[in-house]
Amino acid sequence: MALRSDYEHGRADSYRVATVIATDDDNRTADGHYKSRRKMPAKAAKKENLDDLKQELDIDHHKISPEELYQRFQTHPENGLSHAKAKENLERDGPNALTPPKQTPEWVKFCKNLFGGFAMLLWIGAILCFVAYSIQASTSEEPADDNLYLGIVLSAVVIVTGIFSYYQESKSSKIMESFKNMVPQFATVIREGEKLTLRAEDLVLGDVVEVKFGDRIPADIRIIEARTFKVDNSSLTGESEPQSRGAEFTHENPLETKNLAFFSTNAVEGTAKGVVISCGDHTVMGRIAGLASGLDTGETPIAKEIHHFIHLITGVAVFLGVTFFVIAFILGYHWLDAVIFLIGIIVANVPEGLLATVTVCLTLTAKRMASKNCLVKNLEAVETLGSTSTICSDKTGTLTQNRMTVAHMWFDNQIIEADTTEDQSGVQYDRTSPGFKALSRIATLCNRAEFKGGQDGVPILKKEVSGDASEAALLKCMELALGDVMNIRKRNRKIAEVPFNSTNKYQVSIHETEDSNDPRFLLVMKGAPERILERCSTIFINGKEKVLDEEMKEAFNNAYMELGGLGERVLGFCDLMLPSDKYPSGFKFNTDDINFPIDNLRFVGLMSMIDPPRAAVPDAVAKCRSAGIKVIMVTGDHPITAKAIAKSVGIISEGNETVEDIAQRLNIPISEVNPREAKAAVVHGAELRDVSSDQLDEILRYHTEIVFARTSPQQKLIIVEGCQRMGAIVAVTGDGVNDSPALKKADIGVAMGIAGSDVSKQAADMILLDDNFASIVTGVEEGRLIFDNLKKSIAYTLTSNIPEISPFLAFILCDIPLPLGTVTILCIDLGTDMVPAISLAYEHAEADIMKRPPRDPFNDKLVNSRLISMAYGQIGMIQAAAGFFVYFVIMAENGFLPKKLFGIRKMWDSKAVNDLTDSYGQEWTYRDRKTLEYTCHTAFFISIVVVQWADLIICKTRRNSIFQQGMRNWALNFGLIFETVLAAFLSYCPGMEKGLRMYPLKLVWWFPAIPFALAIFIYDETRRFYLRRNPGGWLEQETYY
Amino acid sequence: MSKNNGKGAAKGEFEFPQPAKKQTFGQMIYNPEEGTFFGRTGKNWSQLLLFYTIFYIVLAALFTICMQGLLSTISDTEPKWKLHDSLIGTNPGLGFRPLSQQTERGSVIEFNGKKPAESDYWIELIDDFLRDYNHTEGREMKHCSYGQTHEPSEVCVFNTDLFGSCSRANNYGYKANQPCIFLKLNKIFGWTPEVYDVPQKDMPDDLQNVINGTAVEERKQIWVSCNGHLSKDKELFQNIRYFPSQGFPSYYYPYMNQNGYLSPLVAVQFNSPPKGQMLDVECRAWAKNIIYSGSARDRKGSVTFQIIVN
Repeated sequence: MALRSDYEHGRADSYRVATVIATDDDNRTADGHYKSRRKMPAKAAKKENLDDLKQELDIDHHKISPEELYQRFQTHPENGLSHAKAKENLERDGPNALTPPKQTPEWVKFCKNLFGGFAMLLWIGAILCFVAYSIQASTSEEPADDNLYLGIVLSAVVIVTGIFSYYQESKSSKIMESFKNMVPQFATVIREGEKLTLRAEDLVLGDVVEVKFGDRIPADIRIIEARTFKVDNSSLTGESEPQSRGAEFTHENPLETKNLAFFSTNAVEGTAKGVVISCGDHTVMGRIAGLASGLDTGETPIAKEIHHFIHLITGVAVFLGVTFFVIAFILGYHWLDAVIFLIGIIVANVPEGLLATVTVCLTLTAKRMASKNCLVKNLEAVETLGSTSTICSDKTGTLTQNRMTVAHMWFDNQIIEADTTEDQSGVQYDRTSPGFKALSRIATLCNRAEFKGGQDGVPILKKEVSGDASEAALLKCMELALGDVMNIRKRNRKIAEVPFNSTNKYQVSIHETEDSNDPRFLLVMKGAPERILERCSTIFINGKEKVLDEEMKEAFNNAYMELGGLGERVLGFCDLMLPSDKYPSGFKFNTDDINFPIDNLRFVGLMSMIDPPRAAVPDAVAKCRSAGIKVIMVTGDHPITAKAIAKSVGIISEGNETVEDIAQRLNIPISEVNPREAKAAVVHGAELRDVSSDQLDEILRYHTEIVFARTSPQQKLIIVEGCQRMGAIVAVTGDGVNDSPALKKADIGVAMGIAGSDVSKQAADMILLDDNFASIVTGVEEGRLIFDNLKKSIAYTLTSNIPEISPFLAFILCDIPLPLGTVTILCIDLGTDMVPAISLAYEHAEADIMKRPPRDPFNDKLVNSRLISMAYGQIGMIQAAAGFFVYFVIMAENGFLPKKLFGIRKMWDSKAVNDLTDSYGQEWTYRDRKTLEYTCHTAFFISIVVVQWADLIICKTRRNSIFQQGMRNWALNFGLIFETVLAAFLSYCPGMEKGLRMYPLKLVWWFPAIPFALAIFIYDETRRFYLRRNPGGWLEQETYY
Repeated sequence: MSKNNGKGAAKGEFEFPQPAKKQTFGQMIYNPEEGTFFGRTGKNWSQLLLFYTIFYIVLAALFTICMQGLLSTISDTEPKWKLHDSLIGTNPGLGFRPLSQQTERGSVIEFNGKKPAESDYWIELIDDFLRDYNHTEGREMKHCSYGQTHEPSEVCVFNTDLFGSCSRANNYGYKANQPCIFLKLNKIFGWTPEVYDVPQKDMPDDLQNVINGTAVEERKQIWVSCNGHLSKDKELFQNIRYFPSQGFPSYYYPYMNQNGYLSPLVAVQFNSPPKGQMLDVECRAWAKNIIYSGSARDRKGSVTFQIIVN
């Protein structure tokens, strides 16, 4: 029976049964294989190396006989290597240590931040400022220090932004360091018959090493001698149960066989002696480390979007700058003036504060996510989760509770469902029937698991238990059903016990009963159901003992099949009251040479256990689906269990069949089923080994619901790459070291906060503090929200670029006095616009963002032409009109009527002209008209703030009306007040006229911009009204950003 | 729920987006397959053009309405904000002529009296400047004098015949390398001077002497003094003459944008400017309500210019 053999090496056995060695050996021995790799020319080697690392571990050191092994490594089990040979090997192979990846020097990283993005453009602006200043300084005695001042401000902006982003970056990517920590320090080695303690780095191939409990394995070793040796492979495979290791070759797969122990795993019990078969980077761990750190993760989607946006803006800035530089020359401006225009255009074009705004917005979301148990390590990953279109989720611990729980019982010939929910809110069952009483007595007594001390307040299901997972599940189940298990055990004292072993596949113990009138001993036994059944002659049904006939056996088989089919681990239970005449009180039971009956027992029932899904997971999976996210389960677990869990959480939805299901239903061979008909698929790791990448693509494309079972870490990586090849943005969850390559390769790696290894946490971009899949969904929601809000924030910030650029253009083309200065532009970009732009990050979603498909990373850009068209072409133009209107108002009210202004620029800016005539014949000194000009700058600035009020309110929504959205975003309301107060402060604070050339305004000069603010509001409300009325219409195509 | 729509839309449900096809540069400009120029069809372009045309017409209309509103509040004859309320303030500066139209020459007056082309440049500039003063025909002007009162609408005549050696006939002294510079006080609507009728301690000695030598009733003048901007030049300023007097008579004020108003002038003649050397001159107006500041960035109540006679 397939089921039975499954159980035989089921969960407790190993994790990677699937990774059976492929038959096609490319006849490279392990040795030659490594050596040839070393000799490869460095450049070609890199890519090949990575591909190589992705292959399954392919060695035969565990298969060959010990003699052949010694022969191959020219070593001896007792005497070890000769010193000469060891030295030779060391020189050939290098030290037994992981090669640290090539690090980009810190200063290079710093420079990248200092000169990347808009920085280069601003540096050019700053340098031009200094050049202009030094020329002015050398030609006039009292040079205006404007340009020096501006140059310093620009440099400061660039440097501060650079330091800010460098700091953000340096916090991440420390992946290799955690691997370094795992390298063991010393090892006991036998060379030339002598025991030596060497630094682990000095180990070489063929060395004979001794390992004892508590040590870290110093290299990959083939065990030649072992005494109750157990290793904890969890850092490698993610499997937490210690596994025994010995000299015998038990499995083709090197990860499964008992005679190999791996570099940097822990020895937890016993001692062993072994021969080093691979060192340093060639060890299994080294390969994973090399894979993880060698993977090119590429840019995050948001980084791509930001680069796209930077290119766009830089393009506009350079185009405008150069065009107007040329125009200025053609118009006959002095070249120094042309340079100053260029500076102005650059400063006006670059949204200096925007990158910082984006960072702050992402940080705010990261904080919000952290409070929802998603700890984001890499800020950009905040948004990546929102763009995710595929989630490759681990099963154990993420989808499930990572806690074996009794799910079903079979007694009195019926299957009873136990409560598997985390908070015991599920169905209850009858605990009074004699069948249950008998079953629970066995489960209580024939059980070595105990609660660990000091957990009084902890709910029973969450208590930690010493002992194996199934026994712990039984213990908890009994504690819930019966109360104080330890007390029951005390009352039924254990007399003798035969622990579980893999040959017997049962566990038996003998107890005194709590009934003091009954002198008989009680024998209780549990184990693999079929083995237990073999030992029984009767069965306990409805309080009566019946002969175990064929009918009952059939019933048993049906129950066993059904429970096994649910992917559950099934145990059988039986007992026997030993007759007091044969086994009187004080009888000496011998457990080595069994002197008591273990046949003809009374069969009582079955209990089955599973690691049940977390309560929130089915909902979360459903949410993912409605959000258009494909959820793929990738697990090392057995296909049946994986499929059962997948079905119960909705990864395989009800009614969807796999190829196997269809074959079974139609009663035809699997090969005759059209794979396209099956929407679901359960792919075994062994099959995956043999598929080409095209076939994998096909699987990923044609099946909507996929479960990968029995996968190895390399396969996980291949699956991730397959998804990425199809254009998906992939999130991967994982906890073991083995998962780290996939985590690193994924667009967003999600590590587990509780169960995760340090390495996986290092490789991941995000950590789930509660290990719960449902938290990912929250993350997706936040990520989508921040993408929308960043759009709004950028639309808001970019809009003010037009009223910033247009004054310069008018200055050059119309020869009017400059309406807005560079310093005031910086006051907008780095002052009044910052808080409102950031506050948009707090904006609520307009509609259910989890009901729409994920963002199309190729077409749905953060900054698209529609956003630019809206910000620059429409709202920005209205804002510019407002600014110019205020400018004309102030000029006219002080004496310069609009028509007087055109062509006046040269006279206006000439210091020699101390008596410039206005429209009323008044004559203005240079000083007075500069005061007038700077007042105009201030007023232009204030009017931008006024129209930005309206802009901020319209940017709150992209489709809805503000009356639907409301003004409940208090951060944004604060932003409105903040920018107003800051603007007023800059204008009215004494001393500003010296520092920033900002002058106090008459109150009435705040008002001219208001009609334009209203125009913005009314225009955009109208636009959005038609947008909602005609979904998909022309207006939406052209203006919905 | 989604479990069900998995059947109907199974193909489309998890279709992953693919990158757009790469276009050649030529296709970007014109794609014959889709009939697009720069990614849009002709119809598409015209729709967009129409939208923006309407948008900007409406915006322009709004702007025009606002400007009309503004202009309707503005008087033709007097500025909306005056004196203290206006940014022009109450502290008139000084202006000088001739002033080159080429602003990059700054306030430098450089010439060689022997070269007609150079001196004629400046003479013509002054001619232009004085045209209004010389051609007063047909204008209603009053010959004002100290002690007389006149209506605010009346305009006082400024007689250019009193310039002495700075007259047109003398070529304003330029041919003789004794250039005349014409100073005028900036017009500020409604501004009236509060004159000094006794010499002040900080006035230069020669100005004090002039004031003392002036009849008391004629002391109602905004006094003017020119000096070296930098103290080293001071000795070069011994031989300066002022025409018609060393000040602007107060009866020309206030300026109320009267029709045909002419600012009073003071011609300053430098009789012995150093040869081939820059003479940095600062001229200053003296009145109780004229505040002086000599700093380049915050110049008040004064003006500077440079003379280079080659």
